Amino acid sequence: MARSAGRGIVQHLRCLAFDPFLVAPSPFRPFGAPSPSGGRNLPGAVTMLGPILEVTIGGLLTGVLYSLVALGFVLIFKASGVFNFAQGAMVLFAALTLAQLTQAKDVPAVSMIGAGAVVAGTVGLLALYGWHRARAAREAKPPAGRLQVAVGLSCAVLGGVLAAVAGTKGWPMWLALPATGLIMVALAYGIERLVLRHLVNQEGIILFMATLGIAYFIDGAGQTIWGSDIYKVDLGLPKNPIFLLESVFQGGLLVEPADLVAAGIAGALVIGLAIFFQKTRTGRALRAVADDHAAAQSVGIPLNQIWLVVWTVSGLVALVAGMIWGAKLGVQFSISLIALKALPVLILGGFTSVPGAIIGGLIIGAGEKLSEVFLAPILVRAFDLAGGGIENWFAYMLALLFLLFRPQGLFGERIIERV
Amino acid sequence: MLYREAGQFKTSYDADQAIFPILQDRIFVLALIAIAFLAPPALGMSEYLYTEILIPFLIFSLAAVGLNILVGYCGQVSLGTGGFMAVGAYAAYNLWLRVPAVNDLVIVFLFGGLMAAGVGILFGLPSLRIKGFYLAVATLAAQFFLDWVFARVKWLTNYTPSGSVAVGNLSAFGIDIDTPVARYVLILAIVAVLTLVAKNLVRGHIGRSWMAIRDMDIAAEIIGFRPLRTKLLAFAVSSFYVGIAGAMYGFLRLGAWEPLAFDINRSFAILFMVIIGGLGSILGSFLGAAFIVLTPIILNQLPGWLGISMSTALISHLEFVIFGAMIVFFLIVEPHGLARLWAIAKEKLRLWPFPH
Amino acid sequence: MARASHAGTDVLLSVENISLSFGGVKALTDISFDIRKGEIRAIIGPNGAGKSSMLNCINGFYHPQEGRITYKGVTRRQMRPHEAAEQGIARTFQNIALFKGMSTLDNIMTGRNLRMKTGLLAQALHWGPARREEVEHRAFVERIIDFLEIQHIRKVPVGRLPYGLQKRVELGRALAAEPDLLLLDEPMAGMNLEEKQDMCRFVLDVNEQFGTTICLIEHDMGVVMDISDRVVVLDYGKKIGDGTPDVVKANPDVIAAYLGTSH
Repeated sequence: MARSAGRGIVQHLRCLAFDPFLVAPSPFRPFGAPSPSGGRNLPGAVTMLGPILEVTIGGLLTGVLYSLVALGFVLIFKASGVFNFAQGAMVLFAALTLAQLTQAKDVPAVSMIGAGAVVAGTVGLLALYGWHRARAAREAKPPAGRLQVAVGLSCAVLGGVLAAVAGTKGWPMWLALPATGLIMVALAYGIERLVLRHLVNQEGIILFMATLGIAYFIDGAGQTIWGSDIYKVDLGLPKNPIFLLESVFQGGLLVEPADLVAAGIAGALVIGLAIFFQKTRTGRALRAVADDHAAAQSVGIPLNQIWLVVWTVSGLVALVAGMIWGAKLGVQFSISLIALKALPVLILGGFTSVPGAIIGGLIIGAGEKLSEVFLAPILVRAFDLAGGGIENWFAYMLALLFLLFRPQGLFGERIIERV
Repeated sequence: MLYREAGQFKTSYDADQAIFPILQDRIFVLALIAIAFLAPPALGMSEYLYTEILIPFLIFSLAAVGLNILVGYCGQVSLGTGGFMAVGAYAAYNLWLRVPAVNDLVIVFLFGGLMAAGVGILFGLPSLRIKGFYLAVATLAAQFFLDWVFARVKWLTNYTPSGSVAVGNLSAFGIDIDTPVARYVLILAIVAVLTLVAKNLVRGHIGRSWMAIRDMDIAAEIIGFRPLRTKLLAFAVSSFYVGIAGAMYGFLRLGAWEPLAFDINRSFAILFMVIIGGLGSILGSFLGAAFIVLTPIILNQLPGWLGISMSTALISHLEFVIFGAMIVFFLIVEPHGLARLWAIAKEKLRLWPFPH
Repeated sequence: MARASHAGTDVLLSVENISLSFGGVKALTDISFDIRKGEIRAIIGPNGAGKSSMLNCINGFYHPQEGRITYKGVTRRQMRPHEAAEQGIARTFQNIALFKGMSTLDNIMTGRNLRMKTGLLAQALHWGPARREEVEHRAFVERIIDFLEIQHIRKVPVGRLPYGLQKRVELGRALAAEPDLLLLDEPMAGMNLEEKQDMCRFVLDVNEQFGTTICLIEHDMGVVMDISDRVVVLDYGKKIGDGTPDVVKANPDVIAAYLGTSH
């Protein structure tokens, strides 16, 4: 890769790799610093507990983001056995799309028109599909391919024209959010149709490498289309930090309200997914496919359709993760790499467990923040280091150690090997 | 019609087991090596050609051979190649810096390779209990941890700010290595020797043990291979190669470097070389490296040739798009990579002009 | 009809009171039997009777919770599969476990792995001893290839071979180890009549020419009764019969297990 291993990457990594966690200002105050609102003085043990709790809460809330990315991984792995390395890239793409649709900062008009076309085209095809489903009881004939193309194309042209007429101003959030969702659906469809369908029955490792390629493609395409500066997603969340339990701890516990909202959204998403999996017909089919592809297919579950659903759902999960992440830390290339932290999360939680992804994310999030704040200074002193930053590897090492003792993860099933 | 094996009878198992059983192949390869050694110095090519194309190509080929031993032959996916390259580079740097008595580059590189092999064994230990994707994540741990170590542990980088180090006044076998041609010839010699060694390993008993573990580890254990020993040997040999490549990259290509030269994107790039070139093929490692080294150079030149102006940022993004698309394309069309295409072409040539 | 036995009376391997369970599921309960030097010993039983588990215990892949296995006079509870291989136990698998990416020749060469001693350095240089060793073992493997009549597929990757030939290559890999005890897990499953006859011939030839002790699992009763010296019958993880084919055929429990009983 000679000298140009992607200048963009190197530049971004520079801020990622050795700055204490991204470019975001650390929410943690030095220990014992008085809070703006003051507070009572308490004996030593409790004053120590305050910072620990504060760091833990901050870590847990970061962990929620890891959980969200990990959730996307788990969904796809369960249903198709594909280890989707591109999940992080999908998060980045969703965040970039959302940020740029709302802001339209230095975006080529082509991109906005293209987005309009994709959105309208997807709407058209989905409408056609819905209409067909409604009629399916009466007529068993699916809409002809020519009709599909016609509807899709005409809607796309219409959308493109609309976007061009409206100029390249930013779209309002109520429009941009569903539009980004539709673009993610289209992306998921493209991945399923153009890549995975051609790789059916290949070994897991080949599929994994294909998703690596997809990740590169999406990273590159996202930045080609939307630009590569640092953007902000504005969800209109409250900005001022709040302080909890001021009566117990000196200065109270500092918590970002945006983080709480994020945790709320993530929780709602998980509950929604649980209901989707347990109660709907598609959810049941999904679980069947997860258990045994061939058996599911033999009872008439269409595999391709199921995979499409799974990729769509994980695309939407990526959108939620990207939205929250973008609002919290800004949208930039490093999202795609930080999303790799979802991998140790998966190892902790087990590759096929949704609760595992959630709990693993929380453990990793809290663990790495605690280690950075409390372990790093000790390491720096002991080994004469040039600074901390152990967050960069702590999660991976934790996962590695964990693997040695429990290879199947917290919630994974133990595999009995047979010959 | 020239490429025929008719009349070449193998009369011993030894002859049948040669690397190139067909006479024409032997002649071709020997000629290629001779040209590689003699032609560039004789033709007096530009420095750009050496530093931007030939030297990176050879170094990355060696790294790809190393990774291919681990991934393609032994089936253990590694995303930590960059980290092991860094170990090689910084270990070599420290020996060169602290023990001036042994500043012969060959010894320095060997030391880098051996240290990388040691670290590789350490991070290969989990491979006894974990497989596949789990192991890939474990090697990510190696990558990030090693990145961090070289950026933070001051002693390793001789207390220079941000871990950037520089080397100069290099020599090997008592000859000063100060011109691009000298660097190129030294690298070519090392790569040629190590490639022959790799080929010997993979075609013999050890190579079979790796492939047995790759194809079906349980059966391999039942017929008598020791899984841990076999896998660790693969990790050690692979990291040795990767470490030497890292040391050569630092010393002979960059001259001055910091840990970022060996970040996770380096790991991905070398993995891509292995995939595109062909898993489980030494030749493929070279083809893949050529592809990955040349593509960005061509991409950078292309807008100029076509008369379009493009920003460098856009080009680097497009590079991502094209690499991603190429990888997916190769996996779909030919999962065994360029090496398989080469083999098919050779097969066709053997029969040409007849179709069967 | 049982064939004329070549078996001696020395016991090569004896299994005493083996019990194996996975979680709550009992795969084997209190199994005892022995295998005499030079005999062909069959293990039969309906599906799920624990036959493959029994073989897995013998070659150390599963570790039974109770019981003892005595092999060549040494008693043990547990060992690793490669240790079993080092002591001369080789096997084939019910679902073929060949190395799919390697050629027939290389697959059978892997069977020689325990006899290849040259170190890393010699192999790296492909020098002297390493080269001689490779050629020596190649010659041995070629004899096996001749014996199994698979010369024409010597350099074909085994993944591309039809099922029957894969089974044969797998037998070749096991034979390459020159085992004292050969475990065959359903060597004839899924074969047509002709292929079965070929395989029977190979099994008998191995037993007669090399004096290899063979323990095989097979569903085809005709084959079992024809080629084996003694038969163990398992059902639901318990031993329900043991003896020569004629004895076993007359055992009412065995008949009940295979044909069902009227209650």
